Amino acid sequence: MLALAAQLATNGLISGSLYALLGVSWGLIFATTKIFHFAHALTLTVAVYAAVLAVGQWGWGLPAGFLLAAVVGCLFGVATERVVYRPLRRVNATSLNIFLASLGLLIAGESAVLIVFGPQARDLPGFPISGIALGPVAFTTVEGLWLAGSWALLLLLIAWLWWTRYGRAIRAVASNRELAQCVGIDPERMSLLVFGIGSALVGLGGMLLALRDTVSPTIGVQPVLTAFIAVFLGGIGSIPGAVLGGLVLGLAENMGGLLLPGHWQGVIAFVVLFSVLVFRPSGLLGVRTR
Amino acid sequence: MDFWLHVVNMIGLFIMLGVSLNLLLGYGGLVSMAQAAFFGVGAYAAALSARDLGLPFPLTLVVAIVVTTLLAGVVTFPALRVRGEYLILLTLAFQMVIYGLMLSWVDLTAGRTGISGIPRPRLFGKTLVTPAEFLPLIAAGALVTFAIAYRIGESPLGRVLKAMRDDETATLAIGKSVLRYKVLVFCVSGGLAGVAAGLFAHYQAFINPFSFNLDRSIFLVALVVLGGTGNLLGTVAGAILFVGLPEVLRFLQARQDIVDAIRNLVFGLLLVLFMRFRPEGLVPEHARGRRRQGVGQPAPAVSVTGILPSAGPAHDGAGPALVAQGLRKSFGGIKAADDLSLALPRGKVTALVGPNGAGKTTVFNLLTGFLAAEAGTVSLQGEDITRLAPWRTVRLGLARSFQDVRLFERMTVLDNVLVALPEQPGERLGPLFFAPRRTAEAERRNRDQALGSLAFVGLADRAGEIASSLAFGEQKLVALARLIATGADVLLLDEPASGVDLQWVRRILGLIRQLAAAGKTVCIVEHNLEVVTAVADHAYFMEAGRIIAEGRPEELMADPRLADIYFGTSRR
Repeated sequence: MLALAAQLATNGLISGSLYALLGVSWGLIFATTKIFHFAHALTLTVAVYAAVLAVGQWGWGLPAGFLLAAVVGCLFGVATERVVYRPLRRVNATSLNIFLASLGLLIAGESAVLIVFGPQARDLPGFPISGIALGPVAFTTVEGLWLAGSWALLLLLIAWLWWTRYGRAIRAVASNRELAQCVGIDPERMSLLVFGIGSALVGLGGMLLALRDTVSPTIGVQPVLTAFIAVFLGGIGSIPGAVLGGLVLGLAENMGGLLLPGHWQGVIAFVVLFSVLVFRPSGLLGVRTR
Repeated sequence: MDFWLHVVNMIGLFIMLGVSLNLLLGYGGLVSMAQAAFFGVGAYAAALSARDLGLPFPLTLVVAIVVTTLLAGVVTFPALRVRGEYLILLTLAFQMVIYGLMLSWVDLTAGRTGISGIPRPRLFGKTLVTPAEFLPLIAAGALVTFAIAYRIGESPLGRVLKAMRDDETATLAIGKSVLRYKVLVFCVSGGLAGVAAGLFAHYQAFINPFSFNLDRSIFLVALVVLGGTGNLLGTVAGAILFVGLPEVLRFLQARQDIVDAIRNLVFGLLLVLFMRFRPEGLVPEHARGRRRQGVGQPAPAVSVTGILPSAGPAHDGAGPALVAQGLRKSFGGIKAADDLSLALPRGKVTALVGPNGAGKTTVFNLLTGFLAAEAGTVSLQGEDITRLAPWRTVRLGLARSFQDVRLFERMTVLDNVLVALPEQPGERLGPLFFAPRRTAEAERRNRDQALGSLAFVGLADRAGEIASSLAFGEQKLVALARLIATGADVLLLDEPASGVDLQWVRRILGLIRQLAAAGKTVCIVEHNLEVVTAVADHAYFMEAGRIIAEGRPEELMADPRLADIYFGTSRR
């Protein structure tokens, strides 16, 4: 029982770390621009497809594939902001309408990927998968990379946000757009920046996922949904909150396996989300605004 | 032939689903990304009750409707404060959970395999099998669903839903329980989706989870939005166009998944383009040719007492109409109300004056229940109302307006006022469907009353216009007419004359005096000292959450100490 609990906690920590990365990638965009960027899922798909093509078809090495995913994700996110969202802001679209446009972009983009590449699942080859045993717990090399990769990126991002000029400017826009404008920060530029960074991160997160799961046009939806939940759990606008939210979600899902049969696992995320929103609507680390 | 009849049947089913979602999204302003989940749960309920419990057809439909209605109620009820992005997220999560359960709860749903052998329905001694045989049933279902949704949408109930969509806070402030209407519209929407679900299960005779996935939910949202939110005809047009037309593609391309992908591609792009160039959809809410209420009707002759709907004499006892004692409220370190007491004398105009940030609006929020006081009591006509929700205090006769007006912007001027009238039978499902005559009579009376309120403020001729198209001064007058329509005896006006031209100021002040003369108790928060002296009988002077002086306005104005505080001139 204890060994099982330790194993489940490890699994929770591993998937939680990836959730945290995905959560931060989306939460950064949402906090700064207030756009419910559903098409983040499309960014993930596009970035991963580019890399799968490069690694699987053109024979690129895996590290180059990761780099490509980050670059493609970044460019795609920036293009989305410029081509879709900025024109909508110009005509004072409501946040609901912006969300709907994002939804439209997602279904259109997924369909385009499906038409071009077909519905069949693809693999990301080239990563040596083997088991690692660490005392009572075991995990695979892929999972090891999830853990290491997610935390490396998370810490890098947090350091950047807290200790650089641009990072601080982004946090300023996130906390008060108008006030930031008054001290000379251009919110439009910061929007581009967060779209670039968030989208590069989700491309990398997608690659981590693709090491274990197969790649299909709809690969982006489920992880990005997890990212939404992590962000709302942790509290909108709080980057450490999104990290905590991701970890809580991963642990809750896996530890729930101790008590419930497998098919109820998905319900756990919902219950956790529900209770947090009802009892603490601003999220675990969110600022209370009422 | 059968193929085209099948397409017609699918359009019928999507009309039902679209209409059910439009009620929620277009009228209630509540985005649900889980409509396919409700559809699916209903379909499974009908399928399992027919196959495993052996229930006959109409009963299985009832089972589907009951299950989806209850599920919708259960899902919304705990989510009291959920709106906007939170609602999107919750319904998304709910959709994923239900879909996940359909796939993995194999004992119940048979997972991916799905449920086959759902018995064909027997009606009037005939077993329905082919699309042609199902057509009348599905058409009837679509018609009934549309009729129910239309009846609700274009009724006083639909008016409250639209008000809630446009401004929840203002809806509370006219005495409507937002929570009640949210739960109600979710349940109705769930139930209507249940109708489609029951018919779908029997029609297909086979269901699996893939008909009820997130893509389907997204498709429904897109269909409603492209058709036009807040207009059910738009949804019908959307269903015909976006379900019917893609079927033509099947003749060009054999592969189902590619056909679906092309359809979704076009659909998604349309959604992006519509949001940019035509956010109101194909058939806008206020399409030309639709009834513009009240326009062209002669305004009834108006006397002040005629437009005041309140029972008036019921409260002409002695003593002040409203008494607050020892109110306390702090935000962080700032004391917005600090042991604050005041009384509003009946039939008089009282003013609350003081510099910016003194806590005047907070006092209104505390009196009306928009904020909970940390200590102290509020009583209205001798009755304790301290802990009541804002909409309840309005029902008891205490209503407030807002500094920033907060009209229901996408509704007509007349509807803005009509919606505020209390106790409308058409706001409840029972009378709406089972006492149509009483509902219609009440609506006529209410319409006259609302037009009367508008005539009182001098805007009867603008009744048919969309509220957001009015000038700011006119909007303030509409807000005043709306406040009067609530029938409350005690009216709290937050800066009724700020931000408008002098001519409007005079008009508004005249109206306030008339209201007081007709027996209303009025309290205003005001910055303009001339306004205060012109209109108020009594004034309280506030600073930093405390009342530091009271008296006749002229006396207060004459006090150099208060002038110092007010104008911020140095005391040193």
